[in-house]
Amino acid sequence: MGPVCQHGSMQTGGDPFVPDDVSWHRVSPRLALARRLAMGVPLVVLALAALLGAALSSPVLALAALAPLLVLGWLWWLIGRQVAAIGYAERADDLLVRRGVMFRSLVVVPYGRMQFVDVEAGPLDRALGIARVQLHTASPGSDAAIPGLTPEQAARLRDTLARRGEARLAGL
Amino acid sequence: MSSPAAVPAAGEGQWQRLHPLTPFVRGWKVVAALLVVIGQQRGGELVRTGIPSRSEALITLAVIVATALLGGLYAVLAWRRARYRVGADSLQLRTGVLFRHERATQLDRLQAVDVVRPLLARFFGLAELSLEVAGGGDSSIRLSLLREADAQALRSTLLARAAGLRFEGDVAPQAPERAVLEVSVGRLVESLVRDPVTVLGAALVTAAVLATIWFHLPAALAALLPIGFGLVGILWSRFTGGFGFIVATSPDGIRLHHGLLTTRSQTVPPGRVQALRLRQPLLWRGRDWWRVEVNVAGYGAGRNKEDREADEHLLLTVGTRAEALLVVSLVLTDPGSQSRPATYDDLSAELIQAGLTGRGSAAGFLSSPPRARLLDPIGWRRHGVRVTASVLLARRGVFRRELDIVPHERTQSLALLQGPLQRRLGVATFVLHSTRGPVTPRVQHLPALAAAQLLHQQAERATSARSDSAHDGRWMLGR
Repeated sequence: MGPVCQHGSMQTGGDPFVPDDVSWHRVSPRLALARRLAMGVPLVVLALAALLGAALSSPVLALAALAPLLVLGWLWWLIGRQVAAIGYAERADDLLVRRGVMFRSLVVVPYGRMQFVDVEAGPLDRALGIARVQLHTASPGSDAAIPGLTPEQAARLRDTLARRGEARLAGL
Repeated sequence: MSSPAAVPAAGEGQWQRLHPLTPFVRGWKVVAALLVVIGQQRGGELVRTGIPSRSEALITLAVIVATALLGGLYAVLAWRRARYRVGADSLQLRTGVLFRHERATQLDRLQAVDVVRPLLARFFGLAELSLEVAGGGDSSIRLSLLREADAQALRSTLLARAAGLRFEGDVAPQAPERAVLEVSVGRLVESLVRDPVTVLGAALVTAAVLATIWFHLPAALAALLPIGFGLVGILWSRFTGGFGFIVATSPDGIRLHHGLLTTRSQTVPPGRVQALRLRQPLLWRGRDWWRVEVNVAGYGAGRNKEDREADEHLLLTVGTRAEALLVVSLVLTDPGSQSRPATYDDLSAELIQAGLTGRGSAAGFLSSPPRARLLDPIGWRRHGVRVTASVLLARRGVFRRELDIVPHERTQSLALLQGPLQRRLGVATFVLHSTRGPVTPRVQHLPALAAAQLLHQQAERATSARSDSAHDGRWMLGR
């Protein structure tokens, strides 16, 4: 799956978090799967434990299995929306990263300010074929991370960022 | 010991030793800590059982002596191992007894040079030279300890090399220094009396005394003791840190001297200040006093808490408005440099006034709209941001006023944040990321669309301001 360019499809008129003249890239939906697995497995185990308890003692305990399942359903839906809200855009001079549904954020990092770029992938990420790119500036506050990229996308982004950063870097 | 005394910069490429008294001065801490531990453990027993037996006393003494010897031996080994070398454009330091460590630093990355003199070192005329470079974590090089004159000579040499200056011989001449202002002890004490910490402490003590008198609760006073110690500790560290505060200028940059027990002489070359904050607690308002703090890359990244003292971020511990603005102008104008715009010039008196004390949209500030009152009923009028040709001003605080100043070319990155309530009201929070330090510019509840516009304009300005100043950090080149 190559980079998905959403020309215009994510725009809403006058939304401050979605500038008009920018083409956004979305991240892989496999990120949602990874997050759902990480969140869902413990909840399912919890529900199964409650069901086991119900089978062994009283059937009333079966109701207790409902709570984790409800939480699971809610988080399932939420994660889908959160992952869909993550986007990044490479402009001529800076990188935009946006995320969040309820609490939204939009980060701008000028290429010249990047000190280094990290690419990370945990075991689950690797199994699902996704990676996370994190940009670092000289500020500990710059929170510009793009999760859920395919390894090819991540490598390409890392190289482009490094190249553009080098072209514009001028000390601190 | 072929070269007993450290002679800094006696020749390029020569490895130098630190001062031979170093192990003694630095090693005493181990012994002192041990004495405290033994004192705590044995002190209680002494009270209960009286004078200890002779053998017991001997054992304790033996433990102390053995630890002192071991610690001393290690300190001597560490001293024998430590070497430093000043190259044409780098400073190298080798340390480590078991694990060898060598660090080399490019001088053109230099952000600040401090000469720190801890109390005990002062008795011997010794000083620590610490060189800050901009790194992710703790990236400073500390030469501890040197003779004070050597530390100062080395400082001028390092600064001259970092500046790109050529000079005769191995040691650069001392840059002339001109004191600009001095904070008197009386003013420092009064500023601490008017500090919110003092006010809080006084309120707590009053409440406890009243509780004791009216409700016969002497426990209230006892409960207050640890808090009281904490508050006194804060005030004491502010007093010792800000004692004898002198701001001076030199061709090497701005120079700050301060400290009561441990004295610190900081040199921050031109263009190294990343961001500034002027701050005024409520009770300083009558005197119109301000404190000025700065972000300098490398400051505040020390290994332990002791190194991360807040006082290295001070530019002025307390001063009148005129004095505060004077030091701000010293930092922002980059005296002598022609390749940069004189940043301070486009800050008019009206603009400064509006930033320090103003409300609403006076002097062109972009401020919170009245609908933000729902989110911040008191502070909304003060939230504001203003952009000039070279800096961004961000102000906040009704009771404790704050004004942040960030040059465009020092902007690291920017962010726009919006929570659900802010979204309903059509406002958003504008955040500017600077390097590590006390200045964290953030303006709450701006009109969302205007804030987004500002975000993109500011990103553009950050990029273009940087490409204008074709500057590799060597501030004396091309003069």
